[in-house]
Amino acid sequence: MFKNFKESYLVRFWSPIPAIAMLGILSAYYFGITGTYWAVTGEFTRWGGHVLNFIGVNTDNLGYFKIIGLSGTPFSRVDGVMIIGMFGGALASALMANNIKFRLPQSKARVFQALIGGAIAGFGARIGMGCNLASFFTGIPQFSLHAWFFTIATLIGVYFGNKVATSRLLCSKIIMQKVNKTKELEDLNKNAKVNFIIGIVVLIFMIAWVVFLAFGKIPEGKKIPVLSIAMLFGIAFGYIISRAQICFTSAFRDIFLTGRGYMARAVVIGMMLSTIGVFSYIMLGLPPKIMWAGPNAIIGGLLFGFGIVVAGGCECGWMYRAVEGQVHYWIVGIGNVIGSTILALTWDSYAESLATSFPKINLLSTFGNYGGLLVNYLLLVVFFIIIVMLEKYYLAKKRNQFSKRSN
Amino acid sequence: MTPDYRLDLQGEPCPYPAIKTLEVLPDLKKGEILEVISDCPQSINNIPVDAKNHGYEVLKIEQHGPTIRYLIKK
Repeated sequence: MFKNFKESYLVRFWSPIPAIAMLGILSAYYFGITGTYWAVTGEFTRWGGHVLNFIGVNTDNLGYFKIIGLSGTPFSRVDGVMIIGMFGGALASALMANNIKFRLPQSKARVFQALIGGAIAGFGARIGMGCNLASFFTGIPQFSLHAWFFTIATLIGVYFGNKVATSRLLCSKIIMQKVNKTKELEDLNKNAKVNFIIGIVVLIFMIAWVVFLAFGKIPEGKKIPVLSIAMLFGIAFGYIISRAQICFTSAFRDIFLTGRGYMARAVVIGMMLSTIGVFSYIMLGLPPKIMWAGPNAIIGGLLFGFGIVVAGGCECGWMYRAVEGQVHYWIVGIGNVIGSTILALTWDSYAESLATSFPKINLLSTFGNYGGLLVNYLLLVVFFIIIVMLEKYYLAKKRNQFSKRSN
Repeated sequence: MTPDYRLDLQGEPCPYPAIKTLEVLPDLKKGEILEVISDCPQSINNIPVDAKNHGYEVLKIEQHGPTIRYLIKK
């Protein structure tokens, strides 16, 4: 019986729709318990800040770090331990499913693409005050108008990113061979048992860390040891995105590339589930996270959408793929940190004209509590319909285009 | 099940495995089988769905650790 369970749930990949639904619900709980949303790039920027401090750059006067904060270490911040949890959860998942293999980029072009794309996406995410999470998947359910600006701009950025990613320079050079039998694949399953046990050990270690943090200091202004809970959620987030291979980049990108929008539709359903949960916490008195609805959100979305497609993965997608041994995504991650650090260094020269002089628009204040809730759901429904229409249009177009190539 | 053609995409990150698969499939004759090998695990969410959407039949999906073999018939 265990063998059956293991094969169905721990080894075989999960279907993305229930996985994203789970992420939507968990992220609402995460907000309710920690008071912040599920987000990763702010913390990446802080890592960049620590590197700057380490090499002797004084970050005290940088306005961006005043906004996002740079006190403590990745081990003492909510976002920091959540991300450690995500890495741990993703690693445990990959090991238990024997989904680990060291893979090097196949060409210099791919290395370049990962680094530059990652940096553009990192910069874009931070100027827009969040990535596919804080300015999209967990930002829209916060009723922050900036997230809608960012999301629409991302879709446009993705469209242009596709032009570059599928250009002659970057397209795959591999050719089809005539064969008469299937290829013998290296038997990677021989390590499956050992990897499974290591995966369990990683999971136990992470849970022990959660327990350890539970007995730690309760941060100021909190009623519970929030670091412990943040890490626990991080483990769940990491485990789920790895198990179902959730990719926000492909959700947007593949509508245009192949006419497949089912990941995008799943993401919208996830946000619909999340929105009502977040709403109820806000009604209980928790302040929502609202950001400036200025040109920064639009510029950020355009750059982010362009960057993630060129890089092949976004800010949360590279994390689980990096621990699977895909070196390409280590480079994307480094690119992300570089891009967001550049943003932090240059922020003060354009912050006022692009961001901070614009209002932070909360749909719940603009339209009233129930009005705002309704508007957000209406926008989500419209977004869903747009996805379905784009999907239909591009599927017909691409079917035609691909089948014509051979004639 | 014997394939007629092979597309060995190991090492290529997504979306290239999905695009390449759709690009070569029209070159097959009706009834011929293509073997696609990808070690981008995320291809599990795109190659089978795309193949079906574009009118091909997915005969088999085999998971060998992180490497996945797809057998697709035109």
